[in-house]
Amino acid sequence: MAGLAEAGRRETMLTALRVGSGVAFFAAWQLTAMSHVFSDFLLPSVPVVAERLWHDLISGDLLYGVLLTLIRTFIGFVLAAVGGVALGVSIARIPLVRWFFDPLVSVGLPMPKIAFLPIFMLWFGVFDTSKVLMVTFSSIFPVIVEAWAGTQNIDKYMSWSAMSLGVGRHRFLWEIALPAALPQVFTGLQVALPIALIVDIVCEMQMGGEGMGGSIMTDMRFADSPGVFAYIIAIAIVGMILVKAMEIVRRWLLVWHQETQTA
Amino acid sequence: MAGISFREVRHTYRPPRGRALLALEGVSLDVKDREFVALLGPSGCGKSTLLYLLGGFIPVEQGEITVGGKPVDGPSPDRGIVFQHFALFPWKTVRQNILYGLEKQGMPKAEREKRAQEFIELVHLKGFEHSYPSQLSGGMRQRVAIARTLAVEPEILLMDEPFGALDAQTRALMHEELLAIMRRAPKTVVFVTHDVREAVYLADRVAVMSARPGRIKEIVDTKLKSNARGEELLQTQEYAEKVDHLWKLVRDEAIRAQGTRE
Amino acid sequence: MSGAAALEAATTRAVTRPLMARLTAALLRALPVILLGAAWQIAPSIGVINPESLPPLSAVATAWWGLLMDGSLVSNGLSSMWEIIIGLGLSIVVGIGAGVLMAWYAPVDALVSPLMKSLYPMPKSALIPVMILWFGLGIGSKIASIFSGCLLPVVLSSYNGARGVDQTLIWSALGLGASRRRVLWEVVIPGALPEIMAGIRNALAISFILMVAAEFLVGQNGLGYLISFLGDGGVYDAMFAGVLTVSAFGFLADRLYLLLMQRMLRWRD
Repeated sequence: MAGLAEAGRRETMLTALRVGSGVAFFAAWQLTAMSHVFSDFLLPSVPVVAERLWHDLISGDLLYGVLLTLIRTFIGFVLAAVGGVALGVSIARIPLVRWFFDPLVSVGLPMPKIAFLPIFMLWFGVFDTSKVLMVTFSSIFPVIVEAWAGTQNIDKYMSWSAMSLGVGRHRFLWEIALPAALPQVFTGLQVALPIALIVDIVCEMQMGGEGMGGSIMTDMRFADSPGVFAYIIAIAIVGMILVKAMEIVRRWLLVWHQETQTA
Repeated sequence: MAGISFREVRHTYRPPRGRALLALEGVSLDVKDREFVALLGPSGCGKSTLLYLLGGFIPVEQGEITVGGKPVDGPSPDRGIVFQHFALFPWKTVRQNILYGLEKQGMPKAEREKRAQEFIELVHLKGFEHSYPSQLSGGMRQRVAIARTLAVEPEILLMDEPFGALDAQTRALMHEELLAIMRRAPKTVVFVTHDVREAVYLADRVAVMSARPGRIKEIVDTKLKSNARGEELLQTQEYAEKVDHLWKLVRDEAIRAQGTRE
Repeated sequence: MSGAAALEAATTRAVTRPLMARLTAALLRALPVILLGAAWQIAPSIGVINPESLPPLSAVATAWWGLLMDGSLVSNGLSSMWEIIIGLGLSIVVGIGAGVLMAWYAPVDALVSPLMKSLYPMPKSALIPVMILWFGLGIGSKIASIFSGCLLPVVLSSYNGARGVDQTLIWSALGLGASRRRVLWEVVIPGALPEIMAGIRNALAISFILMVAAEFLVGQNGLGYLISFLGDGGVYDAMFAGVLTVSAFGFLADRLYLLLMQRMLRWRD
């Protein structure tokens, strides 16, 4: 168990470095603001932004916006996760499905899918449905690709061992293929979640209304720069929390994986 | 009765890109019940392919492979297999890996647990029941693989260079463990290796295979009459002569294999 | 043999024979897209799908031609391309410089890299409003948005690439008497190149996303602006044409970059 203690010490050191780096960042910001190289409008000082952040927090506006953004992001993400895994696994295992979707996926991957937003608005209106579906459309591609690769690249010999031990064709998918593909599938999910958040925020910025994206655009239109900065900090924090949460889930889910062991 | 019979087995390897290659050409071999036969040959000679055909993982296209008189038709727990790189289920613990085959056989829970524990102890892994493969050394992982395969009590044991990924000391220990297991519960074993010494030490008979396309070049009896075991056995004249004889047979094929490598 | 298996067999047989066969294979690969295109034409035409929501492919093609002819496609296209060239270009230059420096000089690394890694999950598009505050509603804010979004992936991949260069190579070069500066240029940067190029490919995709998003929000000109303008105006067939154009650009840019990457990294294989 010495390895675990060492890993713990390293984590603490890394966190300390991150905090230190963050402090340096805010210090640099504050010093630049105070030097008045840029106007108070362009670069409000840290206390002003912090105060604004606090104000929005206790008034409940911030939390409400965060909640709405997160709900839309999550629903879109979950749809992408379920659909993406189902599709990715099917592509790996069924030749006809692969023939049909392979070119679609490789063409679709590098396209800026955000360009489809006006189409989604045409089809689904200017409310939550189009936002959620846009999120799904954008974030499903990495899930498909990773689920496909993960299922396709299962160790042949491990599959053969399972067959030799008597697993039936139908049980094979759930008992062997999916658990074996899980590390790569989860990587796809880890890539997809930040994409889901970005896309949702862009949709909110474009369509307005409530949610972090809408609020930040409103503040911008009112030339409320402390508000804009406050929301950026809030969005950054939400993004960091989501990524960290995924990392924690990964470590728990993949406790058996060699990367967890050697960490 | 688990005698194995290969009759004029041919196999063509068809990669998704590139030319088809004749891997095996007219292999015929008989393995008696409870016999330990080694398939020995240079890389690429098709010995592993032959094993996979026997295991039912690749369909037999030409020729015939029968086990106990019946032709091979897909994988089965009767022909247990152990691979070079262990092929364990990484998300399952040692115990769960070994239980898997027993679950597939529909064995009742209490009996399964008892049997699994038996085999964990057989391979000296008591105390590691709840460890994951990623936490174990190479030798330990291979022991889990062997326990997993043996737990379903196959009549035939297929081994594909099972100790190739282990260091020399571990390999020597595993040889002894394997022989001890075989003495307790003898099985028919088909063992693939490119290591001449290993083949002579473990096997009753060694089938030497030619370079690609693989054929059986010669079958040599390697049942050592000496009563010595382990270290002592390795020092005997008998052993040295057998190894020498086989090495000469293999050497020519190894050179030929080097030449045809693309 | 099942239909799918027969198809697979046909494709396999096809690729092992020369040109005619390879054309057949390419056609088979493109077939799903062709089928989709056919469905796009037929479904709205016969009314299965509302042609207001999804104009038939022929109408979209006609509208595309119209956009080309009246110049709006070209002028907005050039505007968008310019934004990407400057924004992405700057991020590549600054990013590689910063990333490699961070990897090469330990104090810079200690101070800056935790910050960089923490900022990575930040949704870059959220910076668009700040850019608008700073640079107003013009091409400046669009370029700044693209730059700020593409910077981090390039920095990080340069950093990781430079750090990943085999230590023994560096020591050998230093041992042979090369100065630290020469080692940096002649060993580290070439060694980091594969990862840097992969990071740039990533940044390229991001640049397109930010270009479209910024143009939606800032307006003025560009393909993103064109699309939302046409959408607001109810000219849906032209709007679809615009969307397809941007998507095609994104796809082509990626493929061209891939070719470039393969040529530059030829020595690797």
